[in-house]
Amino acid sequence: MNSRILTMTLVTGVFIVALMTLDAVATWPLPGSQQGYEPVQPIAYSHRLHAGELQLDCLYCHSGAETSRHAGIPSASVCMNCHKFVTASLGAVRAEDELAQQENRRPREVVSPELAKLYSALGLGDNREPGPGLKPKPVSWIKVHNLPDYAYFDHRAHVGAGVNCQTCHGPVETMERVRQAEDLSMGWCVNCHRAANQSGIAGRAVDASIDCSTCHY
Amino acid sequence: MAENSKNHWRSLPRERDNPAVVDAGARDEFPEPPPAGAVQLDRRGFLQAAGFALAGVAATGCQRAPVEKAIPYLVKPVEVTPGRAYHYASTCGACPAGCGLLVKNRDGRPIKLEGDPEHPLSRGGLCAAGQASILGLYDSRRLGAPLIAGREASWEEVDADVTASLDRIEAEGGAVRFLTASIHSPTELASIESFLGRFGDARHIMYEPLSSSAILDAHQRTHGVRILPRYRFDRAKVILGFDADFLGTWISPVEYTAAYRSVRNVDTESNGAESNDTRRAYHVQFESRLSITGGKADRRFRIAPGEAGAALTELASRLAEKARTSFEKGSAPGSSVPSDQLVSLAERLWSAKGQALVVCGAQDVRVQILCNFINHLLDSYGSTIELSPASNQRGDDDQALAELLEEIRDGKVDALFLAGVNPLLDLPLGTDFPEQLGRVPLAVSFAQRNDETSEACRFTCPVPHYLESWGDCEPVAGVVTLQQPCIQPFGNPRPLLESLAAWSGESQSGESKSSYDIVRATWQQRFSGAGEAGDFDAFWKRAIHDGSITVTAAPTASPSEAIIGFKSDAVRAVSAARPIPEGRYALSLYAKPAMLDGTHAYNAWLQELPDPITKIAWDNYVCLSSAAASDLDVHQGDVVSISSPEIKDAVIELPVVLQPGQHDRTAAIALGYGAKASERFAGLGPKWLEKRDTVGPNGRVGVSAARFLQVAGGTLQHSLTTVVIERTARKHLLATTQTHHTIALPEHLAPRGAERREVVEETTLAEQWQRLHSPHAAHQEHHGSLWKQDHEYTGHRWGMAIDLDACTGCSACVIACQVENNIPVVGKDEVSRRRDMHWIRIDRYYSGDDDDLEVAHQPMLCQHCENAPCETVCPVLATVHSEEGLNHQIYNRCVGTRYCANNCPYKVRRFNWFDYAHDDRLENLVLNPDVTVRSRGVMEKCSLCVQRIQEAKIEAKRSGVALTDGSIRTACEQSCPASAIHFGDMNDPGSRLAGLLENPRRYRVLEELNVAPAVNYLKIVRDGKPDKQGAPDHG
Amino acid sequence: MASASSALRPPLIAGEKTPAQVTKDICSVLDSKPTALWWSGFLVSLAFLLLGVVAVTYQVAVGIGTWGLNSTVGWAFDITNFVFWVGIGHAGTLISAVLFLLRQQWRTSVNRAAEAMTIFAVICAGIFPVIHMGRPWLAHWMIPYPNMRGPLWVNFRSPLVWDFFAILTYFTISLTFWYVGMLPDLATIRDRAEPGFRKKLFGVLALGWDGSYRTWIRYETLYKLLAGLGTPLVISVHTIVSWDFATSVIPGWHTTIFPPYFVAGAIFSGMSMVLTLMIVARKTMGLEDYITVGHLEKMAKLTLAVSLMVGLAYLTEVFTALYSGNPYEQFAFANRMFGPLGWAYWIMVTCNVGISQLFWFRQVRTHWGAVFCIAILANVGMWFERFVIIVSSLERDFLPSSWADYTPTSIEVATLLGSFGLFFTCFLLFCRFVPVIAISEVKGVLNVGRRREAPPVISASPQPNPAEGEGVPA
Repeated sequence: MNSRILTMTLVTGVFIVALMTLDAVATWPLPGSQQGYEPVQPIAYSHRLHAGELQLDCLYCHSGAETSRHAGIPSASVCMNCHKFVTASLGAVRAEDELAQQENRRPREVVSPELAKLYSALGLGDNREPGPGLKPKPVSWIKVHNLPDYAYFDHRAHVGAGVNCQTCHGPVETMERVRQAEDLSMGWCVNCHRAANQSGIAGRAVDASIDCSTCHY
Repeated sequence: MAENSKNHWRSLPRERDNPAVVDAGARDEFPEPPPAGAVQLDRRGFLQAAGFALAGVAATGCQRAPVEKAIPYLVKPVEVTPGRAYHYASTCGACPAGCGLLVKNRDGRPIKLEGDPEHPLSRGGLCAAGQASILGLYDSRRLGAPLIAGREASWEEVDADVTASLDRIEAEGGAVRFLTASIHSPTELASIESFLGRFGDARHIMYEPLSSSAILDAHQRTHGVRILPRYRFDRAKVILGFDADFLGTWISPVEYTAAYRSVRNVDTESNGAESNDTRRAYHVQFESRLSITGGKADRRFRIAPGEAGAALTELASRLAEKARTSFEKGSAPGSSVPSDQLVSLAERLWSAKGQALVVCGAQDVRVQILCNFINHLLDSYGSTIELSPASNQRGDDDQALAELLEEIRDGKVDALFLAGVNPLLDLPLGTDFPEQLGRVPLAVSFAQRNDETSEACRFTCPVPHYLESWGDCEPVAGVVTLQQPCIQPFGNPRPLLESLAAWSGESQSGESKSSYDIVRATWQQRFSGAGEAGDFDAFWKRAIHDGSITVTAAPTASPSEAIIGFKSDAVRAVSAARPIPEGRYALSLYAKPAMLDGTHAYNAWLQELPDPITKIAWDNYVCLSSAAASDLDVHQGDVVSISSPEIKDAVIELPVVLQPGQHDRTAAIALGYGAKASERFAGLGPKWLEKRDTVGPNGRVGVSAARFLQVAGGTLQHSLTTVVIERTARKHLLATTQTHHTIALPEHLAPRGAERREVVEETTLAEQWQRLHSPHAAHQEHHGSLWKQDHEYTGHRWGMAIDLDACTGCSACVIACQVENNIPVVGKDEVSRRRDMHWIRIDRYYSGDDDDLEVAHQPMLCQHCENAPCETVCPVLATVHSEEGLNHQIYNRCVGTRYCANNCPYKVRRFNWFDYAHDDRLENLVLNPDVTVRSRGVMEKCSLCVQRIQEAKIEAKRSGVALTDGSIRTACEQSCPASAIHFGDMNDPGSRLAGLLENPRRYRVLEELNVAPAVNYLKIVRDGKPDKQGAPDHG
Repeated sequence: MASASSALRPPLIAGEKTPAQVTKDICSVLDSKPTALWWSGFLVSLAFLLLGVVAVTYQVAVGIGTWGLNSTVGWAFDITNFVFWVGIGHAGTLISAVLFLLRQQWRTSVNRAAEAMTIFAVICAGIFPVIHMGRPWLAHWMIPYPNMRGPLWVNFRSPLVWDFFAILTYFTISLTFWYVGMLPDLATIRDRAEPGFRKKLFGVLALGWDGSYRTWIRYETLYKLLAGLGTPLVISVHTIVSWDFATSVIPGWHTTIFPPYFVAGAIFSGMSMVLTLMIVARKTMGLEDYITVGHLEKMAKLTLAVSLMVGLAYLTEVFTALYSGNPYEQFAFANRMFGPLGWAYWIMVTCNVGISQLFWFRQVRTHWGAVFCIAILANVGMWFERFVIIVSSLERDFLPSSWADYTPTSIEVATLLGSFGLFFTCFLLFCRFVPVIAISEVKGVLNVGRRREAPPVISASPQPNPAEGEGVPA
């Protein structure tokens, strides 16, 4: 009798273990998945500040997203639209002003170290003027959202269809440093496409193909 | 991958969509013109970029994402968006034909050349050589800096030395010679002229190894001007070709193919009609070897190389009778062509008076004069042959060349400039010529690579690739096209124009003129000279935007007033060449459509392209008819030695190829092989245990046959009347992509009643005419099915139709596909193992016998079957059917069981047997960023350019307009000079394709298997003859 | 059983063995040091195995290109070997399962070895589908497991997937069957071994067998069940393998006769392989008494029968082609017989149908040398059968333009030799470590006391008899 009970417990045990393994396999991240990837960038640019607090539109900088397959990283000249004038955080400037008042002298210009990198990249010297012997050197950012080279994602199609940037990139406006929020696995893409075909995007019906060649060619 | 190269983006050429743009952006990007040092940096930068690309490629294999950098512009030019492709109009520089180009630029680098549909000559087509010429841009072995006696030098040194010796020569009144290939760039001609102007004894000589000099000389004699007429095949109703491969290699093949097609297309009402006056052009070809032109001819005669004259004489006498003109036929022995044939031919010609065209490739002025005479009798001048505006595509003068060579031998030349020519490779110069050349006090070679000639010259001045520099062309008087740079030059080459400017003392002011200024200046002057309306800037912008523009021909370009009426006193009968002595053979030297004169010998794509006729890649060989082969008791692949009693120490050894349709007493050898440039292919291809090398025993690809050329009678002869052929004991491996040459099965295995596999279907003109005029006679047998449709195809349904009647087999599509789809080069050994990777291949079938050979070319690519056999068998769903009727191959899912390839009835799937080389990182920049580079062990195949479909669909969605028919063109379709390929949406009743599906000539290959291919074919139209059954087997 | 005692039939086991002797004879091999003969055999096969390992490593490292395949011929040696080895496997299951259910007593002397052979053959076979992949490191994609790709499953329409399942099932069942059958003997060895590692090891392997009545009953039941499970596999596995070809569109592959044809072929090759091995075993290990000429003759007869079936299949194929009026099919067979690979076709016919006809003669059947040669040739023939079917069909399919020829490379040959190396290495090791003959079953067919008038032993399975100590804990 005992032996029978033993057998039954064993069998059920095996069964449960099998189920658990199956589940583990099913949710096993694909090789090369970089969910949570949060590299340190050459310039500590804060999306929280720009996209969050200052409410800059994503497309202001990533203008390629509408017209090209790559959203693209803004050229330094785009940064200069503001940072020609804004050279440091308000706090830093105020601090300098107060200090200046105490020492009753003209406040010096404050340049935040991060922005200094930008200026040097552009080969700009004091008061943002091209100086002699300063060579421009492009900033080499580190790509956070990497798809494998055999997966062709096209920003045009998605932005055009009204997909929110956050859908794929997560709440960037809250991130100090950009982190890959979603796992960007094939299943994740395909399920979204399926859902979109059912429910549409922003109330508009869309044709989100799940043909392989939508992404792979 | 694309992102990485953004920061290396350089110049901004004028863009087709936006002519007004000036390259301010680029200037801001790099304030001062980069000094030599920085240029090296540039290249390293490029390598870096490619490095990322490479890492990316590797990533597909091992699935580990590397840390990828994204490097944005510092200052982004407004009109450039990374990831978008821009097209710039330019002109092809691969040969003097000067076809129109649209250069596809992506992230600052050209990645694809497309024919310019608006170009008045090429009309949208682009030949294989043109397509492949982009590889030359990314050739890491191009010269980066000038060489003085083989050592790298700076331009300053070169300028100093050259100008010094030039001044001396000018003072001494020495002889200055400028040897170039045919040039029709007004600016270059002008600047060469002005450069030579300061010297007392100076000459500019042009030559082409594939010379047409005799034609020009003949017109000198008969029309008083030494020009090449413009042949208007599009106006001809009867076409006679004598040893002129005008669809393959002769003068301007793309232009001629388009024109030829327009009068041969039976679907157009005018050509489809029955009656003789309006039927499609009738084409007869007389030739000694089978060319692709001969393959398309309605009637083809095999004649020995020397025989054209005799045949023409007979024709001339018959036509003279009809025209009541006197013609002294003389008692010349007739040609081997049966005279009744010639009589009826004369009839045909006469009845097509004013619409007939006789072209002749023979390098014999007397023969050419006869040819002119016949054309004159047939009133061709003014209709099918234009002397004004004339063509500038050939300006070669063999007489002058011969004199120059003499001068060099006698040491009479003080300064010799060579531009775009490699005489040591392609001229029959003695072995002592290099040091003779060395003895020339000032020998300057303008070249992209260090070739045979530039090695022998003291100065080697690297010139940029035509995609890197400004230039202009005038292939036909009045048709002006511009070349504009699409990328900053690699290394530090200097355009010919700038060098000449620097040396002609014009730039004493210090900073040298840029070729842009020079070209613009020429046109400013020409513009005001020609008194064009409107302001120059508008004209200039339009010209750059359109790429080609028509102006009133410059007074010099076509001396119409100098042209005199036909001078018949020059006309003489030409007797047949003396018969070929017993046991000897005539030799015909020809060019292959891909290799041409050998200028492209460096180009792996062209080397690996199977010859359209022999289907052999990576070699040249001696073609013999099977009769000749049995006389010599040799077989395919046996090495024979060819020597000529007429020419000393001219002995070469080549493998034999049995060529149907070849004249029995003629051997044919391709020129352009054995070039130094091909030494780079040693060790090409995957390395493994049983690998065999790509290059031959001489360390090069093929053997040069230039020794057999000779200048006789003032022209460079492409044929010899007697050569001796002796067999050797050796055999040579030939890389053949097709080993069974007919659709007829081997006799001893053929089932009764099924001796032929009707994979290529043919119809006759008469039958076609009936069908056209009895609408409901269309065949369209429909296979009903018990099962419901697997696929709905609610939206698009992509398909293709290929007109076999139009296809000449020129193989431009093959290269176009290779460029577009990142298809690797695998090397001779792999090709010989039948592992060539081309996604589209051109099957070539023979039928009939040698005297009446019929050739069929069938482009074969993935048929995108509706019931695809490959789809059911793939265990991992790596090949699947799309909602739009495409058969997808998903590389990253493929595990490589090869089951799909086995199960493919068309055998169009290609497997990555090895990791094919992508280690030349500069060359990797030519890769199309929109197509995955396949890794080892993965199946691949034609995708119907799905990347283009996706691009077009997304763009359409974005701009909210529906896809229009023709807005998507596959690479092969785009490049086809005969527009034989049509891609489209079968669900769109208005589409061009839908129309073609109704065409009575439409059929599908292996329809009986009920795989329901989406690729359709249109039957070949034969003239009158019903297609023969049980054709003999040349296989 | 009654037959066993009749004077008409020679005894199955020669030489008046008592159960004790049986145990001693068979186990003595395991106790003694291996003979020089064994060593030489083992070293040779090990050498071949290593050769194969090198070849496969090289091929996986460099690429499938190291094989002689091309765009037209995508399969050749790889799948030929696969089908060949799967075929070999069949005899094992046939003998152990089918003949068991058919109460063929004579199987007892050979079934153990035959089953072992099956397992090793299937291992050899299983290697090829993996290494023939362009990217073998992704072989696990053939398994339908839930994943993060959407999920992306396998293509259940593809015969290759069916293959995967068939082979896996086959291997599992055969292994279990083999092991279960071995339990009593493992116990015997355990009992004979003096205390030490060997005793412990076999103790574990024997799963606490105590030779009790109850154990025997359980054992019998389980064995019957497994035999029942195994029997359909004899048919199914090779049927499914044949579908790889039958479901395709290639002329010469696309044939409905393939399933029975392949099964017959498989059994044929299997029987010949068993014969080969048995003859070697009885010669080298002195088991003439257990594997008697009688056994050989029986198997020879069986072989003859299947060889006739195979012959019939060949004829039918050709007839179908002729009768179908399908020009592609007709050409495929004309080409198979008289085309570039004609020689291979005729080798196949001669070896598989021609030579085996000699088995009609008793002298041949009973002469071990002759049987050995014929068996070897039959194996050669069967290898060529697969080669001809696969390669000749691919070389000349629909479009004449893509016709191409195939020549194997050194790597492929080495891989083939390697697979033989693996097979024989495994088999020789097997001979050393477990009884080549199922002791317990043989005891069951001994005709103890044949001359006495006493009634013969009734049950097919030996009652645990106090007289004999073996199998019972002391």
